[in-house]
Order: sequence, then structure tokens, then C-alpha cells
Amino acid sequence: MGRFDFRTRTGLVYNIIQSSILIDADALAFNSRVTSSGGTLSTLEQTAINQLVVDLKAYGLWNSMKAIYPMVGASAAACAQNLKSSSFTGTFTSGWTFASTGVTPNGTSAYMNTFLSPSVSLSLNSSHISYYSRTNSNNPELEIGAGNSTSINALFIEVRTTGTSYFKSNTDATFLSFIDTDSRAWYMCNRNASNSFNAWKNSTKYTSATSSTGITSNNIYIGAVNFSGVASFPSTKQCAFASIGDGLTDIQAANFYTAVQAFQTTLSRQV
Amino acid sequence: MIGYSLTIEQKESIQEIAYAEYQFFNCVQDINDIWFTFLTDEDKRLIIGTEFEWILKLEEKEYKPKINKLWDY
Repeated sequence: MGRFDFRTRTGLVYNIIQSSILIDADALAFNSRVTSSGGTLSTLEQTAINQLVVDLKAYGLWNSMKAIYPMVGASAAACAQNLKSSSFTGTFTSGWTFASTGVTPNGTSAYMNTFLSPSVSLSLNSSHISYYSRTNSNNPELEIGAGNSTSINALFIEVRTTGTSYFKSNTDATFLSFIDTDSRAWYMCNRNASNSFNAWKNSTKYTSATSSTGITSNNIYIGAVNFSGVASFPSTKQCAFASIGDGLTDIQAANFYTAVQAFQTTLSRQV
Repeated sequence: MIGYSLTIEQKESIQEIAYAEYQFFNCVQDINDIWFTFLTDEDKRLIIGTEFEWILKLEEKEYKPKINKLWDY
């Protein structure tokens, strides 16, 4: 059946609206950045991106974001683009695999530089990073973060090392950690106060009273952690979404997961 | 893991050099301090016909990582 015919009242409306899937201006701008960089998005990816932006705005999350990497388009050119703005366009090292399900670092040499410096773009007591992992592994790997060292001004997510996931948020002090039996999930490290921060695995919250002590100037890497310019502890976990931004309230964090999971479900790559 | 082994001079000629608009080479040392670079099939397709095609002719060796201990948990 073809395009809808107003005279006979037959056909598919879908074909008429297909060319105007991207309604939101920010979704349109993202698609333009992808296209102008040499990448392409499928119709389904455009639809998912548009809904993601609409959802983030409806939940009041959009303005809290500094960088959103939806990892769509199955190419470096597309996946390097920041959905939030034309700032913080990433670059990938060699050793990444790009697919419709996300981007996979090789666990040896691969990382993505976001060019986002926490001390410039985030606040000591208000920041978050998130990573949507589609791989179940149990090795000493860090998925996203930066720091002066492992123990100074560290901000990172370390998903499932020997059965435990670890988080630090702008601190020299100890980890927030929890037992983790499967590393396929959305993880967020979130600070919105000087004397506490929280970690999220999907919709479950874990809390720490670890105080903030300092914020690093080193750019945040994805697929590894940037300790003073050295990409360290590279990951093997496929990334289907990553974000960097301000600290979120509990309600915002829960809604963030809802929006991201809906996005992944639209793309049939949810875990 | 198998990668291309590099001399120090070869490593210095490509480290952090872009081979596509959004991609650049990264080299790492193994447990014996030998430099390696790792290329996916997509990376290889991108450098064929470029000034970096010589990398594909290098010897491929087994990479043995340095001890990757994070910290005392």
C-alpha cells in the first residue's frame, strides 16, 4: 500500500510524515551535525533521537546535560557527535568497533576523548557521568572518567571488577561500591551535595557519604579513564549511551533512566 | 590479543596522529615494553591507500598486557 490518498482515503499516513520525523530543533541540529561530518542516521535512529530529546526536555533534564553521546549511526563520525550541542565533539582512537548496537572499545588501547574538562564545565558538588553498558564482563576496567590519579580528584565509573562496581565523584577519598553480578545496565555516578553522592544501576540507587575534595582538569575519556593524560584501565564493554552533566535529583535520575531505556528499546538494543 | 608491533620510531610517527576526521592512532606498550597498535577491520579499510598503509605490512604479534592492577580494594 502506498502513500495516503486524500481523494480515495486509502494508503499509509506513515509515508507522509516520514520526511518530518525530526520535529525537535535540537534533534534536527544533531542530525545535521552527523550528516555534515559524513555520518548517517537511519529513520529509526532519527525517531529515537527525537523522542529522547523530547523526553529529556519533558523531564526537565535537558538543561542539566553538558554532553550526550547516543552512540548511533555505526560510525566514528556519527558517534563522536554530542547531542546536546556542537561543543565536546569527541574523537576516537584506533581500536573501536562501531555498530548499530553501540561502540565497543578493544580493552587494550581504545578510548574516546570528549574534550570535556570537569573543572571547566562541571561543578565540584554538582556533576554526573553515565555509561550504558551492553557487555557482561568482570575485569578491572573503567568505563568513563578522569582524575589526577586513581586517588586524587577522581571522577569515574568502574563497572564490575571481580563482582563489584566502583564509583568516585570528585574526591580523593574512598569508593562507593556495590556487589554487581551482571554489567549489562545503565550506570550513573552522580553528585549533588558536598557530603554525599550516589550511584545508579538502572533505577536502583546506592548512596555514599564520601565528601568532595577536588575536581580534575583532565578531559573525561570514554572507554577508559584519563589519569593525567594517560588512558588507563581500558574497557571492553560496549557503550550504547554516555552522558556528562550537572548533578541530578533522585527523581531526575530515575526519569533519566526511563528516558534512556526507552531510547534503547526503540532501537531494540536495550539490556 | 594480536596487534601490530612497532619500533619506537614507528610508534612516534603515528602516535596521536589522525587517520580520519574523528579517529587517531593510539599505541600501547606490552609487558616487555614493545609498542603495539591495534586496528579493527574498519580502521584497516580507512588507512588503505593512505600514507599509513605501511602499518598493515608490519609483523603481527601476540600482545601481553602489563599487570593491570587497579588498587587495593
